[in-house]
Amino acid sequence: MSANFEPNIVAFLCNWCSYAGADLAGTSRVNYPSNIQIIRVMCSGRVNPLYVMNALQQGADGVLVSGCHPGDCHYMEGNYYARRRLGMLKDLMEFVGVDPKRFHMSWVSASEGHKWKEVVEKTVEDAKEAGPFEGFRRRKIEW
Amino acid sequence: MTEKPKVGVYICHCGINISSTVDVDAVAEFAKKLPNVEVARTYSYMCSDPGQVLIKKDIEEQGLNRIVVASCSPRMHEPTFRKAISEAGVNPYFLEMANIREQCSWVHEEMEEGTAKAEKLVGASVAKVRLLEALETKEVDAEPAALVIGAGIAGIQSALDIADAGFKVYLVEKTPSVGGRMAQLDKTFPTLDCSACILTPKMVDVASHPNIELLSYSEVEEVNGFVGNFDVKVRKKARYVDFNKCTGCGDCAKECRVKDRFPNEFDQGLGKRSAIYLPFPQAVPAKYTIDAENCLYLSKGKCGKNPKCQEVCGAEAIDFEQKDEFVEFKVGAIIVATGFDPFDASRKPEYGYDDYSNVITGMEMERLVSASGPTEGKIKIFNGEEEIEPKEVALIKCVGSRDESVGNEYCSRVCCMYVAKQAHLIRDKLPDANIRIYYMDVRAFGKGFEEFYDRVRRENVRYIRGNPSEIFKRGNKLVVKVEDTLNSRALEDEVDLVVLGVGLEPRADMRGVMDLLRLSQSPDRFFLEAHPKLRPVDTATDGVFLAGCAQGPKDIPDTVAQAKGAAASAMIPLARGKVTINAQVAVVNEATCRGCGFCVNICPYTAIELVTVNRFGNEVEVARVNEALCKGCGSCSAACLSDSIQPKSFRDSQILPQIAALGVLK
Amino acid sequence: MKMDLEQLRKTAAEVVSRDDVKYLVGWKQGTYGYRVAPGFIEDAAGAAELIFSPLCTANLATYLTLVEQLPVPRGEEPDDRKAALMVKGCDSRAVTQLLVEKGIERDDVVIIGCPCPGVIDADLLAEKYPETEDLAEMKWDGEDFLLVRDGEETKIARDELLAEKCRLCRYPNPVISDIMLDQEVETWELAEDEGVQEIEGKDIDERTDYWAEQFEKCIRCYSCRNVCPLCYCQDCVLDRLNPTWVNRSVNFSENTAFNIARAFHLAGRCIECGECERVCPANIPLGKLNRKLAREVRDKYGFEPGVDPEAEPFQASFKPDDPEDFIL
Repeated sequence: MSANFEPNIVAFLCNWCSYAGADLAGTSRVNYPSNIQIIRVMCSGRVNPLYVMNALQQGADGVLVSGCHPGDCHYMEGNYYARRRLGMLKDLMEFVGVDPKRFHMSWVSASEGHKWKEVVEKTVEDAKEAGPFEGFRRRKIEW
Repeated sequence: MTEKPKVGVYICHCGINISSTVDVDAVAEFAKKLPNVEVARTYSYMCSDPGQVLIKKDIEEQGLNRIVVASCSPRMHEPTFRKAISEAGVNPYFLEMANIREQCSWVHEEMEEGTAKAEKLVGASVAKVRLLEALETKEVDAEPAALVIGAGIAGIQSALDIADAGFKVYLVEKTPSVGGRMAQLDKTFPTLDCSACILTPKMVDVASHPNIELLSYSEVEEVNGFVGNFDVKVRKKARYVDFNKCTGCGDCAKECRVKDRFPNEFDQGLGKRSAIYLPFPQAVPAKYTIDAENCLYLSKGKCGKNPKCQEVCGAEAIDFEQKDEFVEFKVGAIIVATGFDPFDASRKPEYGYDDYSNVITGMEMERLVSASGPTEGKIKIFNGEEEIEPKEVALIKCVGSRDESVGNEYCSRVCCMYVAKQAHLIRDKLPDANIRIYYMDVRAFGKGFEEFYDRVRRENVRYIRGNPSEIFKRGNKLVVKVEDTLNSRALEDEVDLVVLGVGLEPRADMRGVMDLLRLSQSPDRFFLEAHPKLRPVDTATDGVFLAGCAQGPKDIPDTVAQAKGAAASAMIPLARGKVTINAQVAVVNEATCRGCGFCVNICPYTAIELVTVNRFGNEVEVARVNEALCKGCGSCSAACLSDSIQPKSFRDSQILPQIAALGVLK
Repeated sequence: MKMDLEQLRKTAAEVVSRDDVKYLVGWKQGTYGYRVAPGFIEDAAGAAELIFSPLCTANLATYLTLVEQLPVPRGEEPDDRKAALMVKGCDSRAVTQLLVEKGIERDDVVIIGCPCPGVIDADLLAEKYPETEDLAEMKWDGEDFLLVRDGEETKIARDELLAEKCRLCRYPNPVISDIMLDQEVETWELAEDEGVQEIEGKDIDERTDYWAEQFEKCIRCYSCRNVCPLCYCQDCVLDRLNPTWVNRSVNFSENTAFNIARAFHLAGRCIECGECERVCPANIPLGKLNRKLAREVRDKYGFEPGVDPEAEPFQASFKPDDPEDFIL
């Protein structure tokens, strides 16, 4: 894989904790790779695990889902459901040959700007190692 | 989806906050080419008046019906722009914001990468905004009543303000009397006001106010509902004393067969009480309570021939058959004022708190020096051999605070001043004592604080900079081992009494309240406020507010100020008489729903239930959402195998295009 | 063990004669060779055709949800009579899981339990004992099988023909029933799931290649979805256009997405009856996907679907100590 490969990461962040934590990283002018693009959802429990599959199909090389720490979910339990479902998804994807380095889940609270930076860096680094996603990427049909 | 989407894209320079790392003009050019985009502009400050006018003008002149604002975080200005477009006649939910500041320009360095990312984020926002739906915000009536949990000074103040404004208040207190920690204090810094003197009038007010229903010796069991419409269930614990008959005369406690055998909680364990007791002389309500664990009759079934208290009670108020009672009521707002616990000095074993009777905490000192305390205000201490009036006194600050080793990195804010105050009180009662304070810093930040600190030092209280490492016994003296860092001397200071300036900790039983009201903790474990600067009395749960040390360590003036602030915030829904319900609720497509009940299981707010509908003559069950209870979290929809339940504005059909827009299909 | 066919047919006839039973779904001999067809029995004559043999591989529970709910003509009442159903051990778990998910009500069905010593693998059978037009029967003979054709009886060793899913079967006896047609069979020693282990032994790139080869073969006939008793959404999300989760085009990308999504939707619900793999015309080893997930659910989350009708659905619940070692 080329040394210049810049992975494309799609991230799903919960509004109350992780999105706020990412905002805090911004307010603190913390620096991190720009490979990551964030989609805001209200709760990590909203993340249908098939989004991960869909993201990889539609052009992402890595996917990140981040929510509140267990016990702190603004909607009480959403992150517990996310944990269970996304845990299963990770097992399934790995079994089907998707490099586990492509999918990460994290707990980032509204006050953890620095942790957010670390999570992004790890996600990007792992996706770089895994390389461009070929797998079942939807290909543009050239007629 | 009857009208064609006409999207306007507005990219903010935010001064140079965005434009220094993102080429906003390039992003506007990119946006113009996206499907359905009619207008794409940049402006220096979109949130300003002229910025908003720009949007409104385009809506009017170009017939725009969907707006994308690429600027700061939606957590900052989403309400601002929603209001702006609503004023121009566009449904406020036809707005999508791209966060190109906090999550782009502020965290990336190169113009090229910042611009490329901003373009993708704008592309994703445009993809979503075209598919958003018009939503109406609904209003429901709000109950003109409030619940205050905790009747220390914070709870008392909040309750009085709300009650004075004309609303009903239910004030619930866990212990038999109101007053909280402030009632345990002797004199308060910096004015040296007698704590009980300024508190007791308020305690009496709260018990006699026509709008306040005081539920003492009670706990909140259950809270359901939402802001404006909370259903509360409270357990009134059995005192085993008839509230209406008890006159507070105290004959029962005098005659109790296990008289004065148990540590008195109010005196921090230094004093003793009977199994039937009044927590302290000025208790409100002045009604006795039987401690069921220690009462012979209640715990063992037998108290001599007959329980003594019952024999001597002239009012026949003893009632061993009493049971816990439940009351249920509706309120519109809730204030959490549950206070703090003093740091348990046993967790610093090097200070010998558990080993030596003359190492005491600040709270215990407070009781010693109180006229109503176990020693009637005399400073007498048992040094292992005899009871003495201490000559050498050391006070140590920052015990359990600013200390990672016990998990409390924070500063408890009040200890510098209360230690100075206690040094002053000791000087007052023991004019010849040699008093020294061991400190790391002196934080005398408040009104009158620095002046008080000066005064205390002028009273010959020595401040020595050093954090003692250990305290041990030598003969009948305590030795404080410490480095005087300003003089670079190692000391072994022999004293008669050590007062540990213990900090404030979140209450050990706070988990119960957290679960009850879905509250979170800050990293310091006190209750989490909605925003540390701008919303210090709100919580993430609408209609639930914080007051006092439950939210973080603070002194009495700050507590009262915050309690008044919480009361004012709580009164907003009560005074309006209405609350607005979240519009972004979940909705079920009853045609595809098969009634499996997954969503019903999942919803933490029990907002979904299965109802029977008639599908062409067949009775089938489908899910239905109660919009008043739904918070729009979407946990239901992620589990729905047929995608039948979806939260408005965050539907799969709105998110998948966002994902596609962020992809890079080669 | 040997099921008494007379007893079976007599019981079936009794059940269908009940006023509250609409029909009974069971197995009957097909039109030629080894064929076994589902029978919708409504009277004693029909009951006389019922069989239960090692050829009865089909999971009839799927018919509980395949039934179309037709609009009810004006003036008429909906027909709410019960369906009776013959189930093997694996099939009964499908019924239980349907109860958990409210796909059916307990009152909707009369469950006739058939303890099963194991069925045959149709491909292996066709390979070793090629099918002819003559109607053939099979019976259980102790642990082994007996092939009866043209008046001849051939004994075949169990290992030669036993279906892969039966080698791994943990529930040969129905876990739920109204009538049990025979005594319970003894459980047997379970084999290792070599199919799944084979994949687990590969590295990521090998796995990608393996599944690429498999999903390239998929023709999106949806047989797997149709035969599965737990795939019964009227309007499957994978067919939807708004939003379009998976395009309908038949290519490697969409095929993979379809199969991954379906396997995921079955996580904690699939009861490993193996029908999907059996019916796939492209011979894609779908069972491996589903069995792998089922094993993860068992090992990591301590849950097994289709055993307890009162259980909480796996995807709609959580435990405070669910594994989170993968979370940063």
